[in-house]
Amino acid sequence: MSEQDLAVDRSILSGGSAVVSRSDSEQVTGVARMDLASHREAFGRRPSVRVRNASALIDELAEVALTGRGGGHFPAAVKWRSVAAAGPGGIVVVNGAEGEPGSAKDAVLLQTRPHLVLDGLVCAVEAVGASEAIVWLHQGAESTMRSVRSAIAERVAAGEDGVPIRVVLAPDRYVSGEATSIIRTIEGGPTLPRFVSNPAQPWSDGARPILVNNAETMARAGLVALRGAAQYVPTSLLTIVSRGHRSVVEVGAAETFGTVIATHWSDYAAGEPQAVLVGGYGGSWASWSGVRHLRVDAAALKPAGLSIGAGLVGPLPMSACGIEESTRLVNYLAGQSARQCGPCVFGLAAVAQLCDDLTAGALTSAGRKRLTRFMDEIAGRGACRHPDGAIRMITSALHVFSADVAKHRRGRTCNAKVYGVMPLPGEHS
Amino acid sequence: MTRHHAHDARQQVTDLAGPTLRIDPSLCDGVGICAHLAPDLIALDSWGYPIIDDHALSRKRLMRQAQAVVSACPKKALFIQG
Repeated sequence: MSEQDLAVDRSILSGGSAVVSRSDSEQVTGVARMDLASHREAFGRRPSVRVRNASALIDELAEVALTGRGGGHFPAAVKWRSVAAAGPGGIVVVNGAEGEPGSAKDAVLLQTRPHLVLDGLVCAVEAVGASEAIVWLHQGAESTMRSVRSAIAERVAAGEDGVPIRVVLAPDRYVSGEATSIIRTIEGGPTLPRFVSNPAQPWSDGARPILVNNAETMARAGLVALRGAAQYVPTSLLTIVSRGHRSVVEVGAAETFGTVIATHWSDYAAGEPQAVLVGGYGGSWASWSGVRHLRVDAAALKPAGLSIGAGLVGPLPMSACGIEESTRLVNYLAGQSARQCGPCVFGLAAVAQLCDDLTAGALTSAGRKRLTRFMDEIAGRGACRHPDGAIRMITSALHVFSADVAKHRRGRTCNAKVYGVMPLPGEHS
Repeated sequence: MTRHHAHDARQQVTDLAGPTLRIDPSLCDGVGICAHLAPDLIALDSWGYPIIDDHALSRKRLMRQAQAVVSACPKKALFIQG
């Protein structure tokens, strides 16, 4: 077996890349679904993670430096240890709600590799001493729901797991994917983010400990449990946004954004992009010259002020305007506020209004100063990270697209011929 | 204290040497009474919501102001941690 074959053999998507539409993640093509039999043939039986070696698996997660792939990149081992330390009888949740609107990687995972995710989930239950397993999905994600439900049925029929796995459906809203929204719902509250004063204990005092991990994080934990840390290949699942569709690809840490985009961005034939939105709609814009040589690796991105976040890669064609696009996104993000925290409710709305003014060529000097002050005031002041992400994206846009800012400020038209590059929920294209 | 002082304080790493005044922003309705009672700890942002100095409450005067706003807040959004 060549080195490349080995790498493919140890990967999540077996070297394939999946294609989904821009508007939803209902139809996945390019990667075939693995049912329980084919999953077991490829990966073997799920090892039992008993109390005796529970900490061994957590140590292995630390060894491979597994971090949260929902966007936060918090070390998984730290989270698992704090839930384990809180005592037995807890709940483990795999978050498949894919809060990031442009992202489709978790839908692809749950539709094509459901048993890898569920193996991770059941291993987590055993490792932290929990007694309940939950798969958290958006209620509109029907294909994902069907795949997960039939995977659970297969496992029940095969007598696979010692713990029942339950599917819980969340409202179709951006903040439904926030870990604190999930915990609050399980504790009987509304599906809204909650302020947490102690990050090591996001559940309520006296309540059952709850571990929440993103679907990709859980699949990777499953991979570590099935294959061992020594065989683990640190790849990233990315969603690449093209005009006609989205591609979900698995990329090694040695590959650069330049090669990934040249290979998987279907609009590349018409020319290189001017910039790339990295991480998510609450991520950062990076200029093409600044990002093309960077490796798809957390350590390589950090010095550039970037994060892989939820794995969204949104190249912006030369024919589009970064300011127009960012204004559209910040309006969407402002509208997705959970409407709980003043700086998010009023601050994001004010920032979106000023961005509208900028795009319309009507931003005064006083307005430009207000925009800077507002962004300063909002950062770090929500119960969740939603407002911070919106501010991060706009801050990077004003920097990366400074030439377009100048054009719009002078009331001149920019050169945009293409609008609405990033998909938004509810749009049809 | 000006808004900018409060903002600078927020940007710095929280001083873990002692108790700090904190807020649950999801409970706050922007009543604003806190900024009047604790002018050395709290400034209001452009929409009337408190920006809180998260330095340790090392001096007695600051601790007194913090305790006063914790009990005065009608939404019970403020608390002292640590």
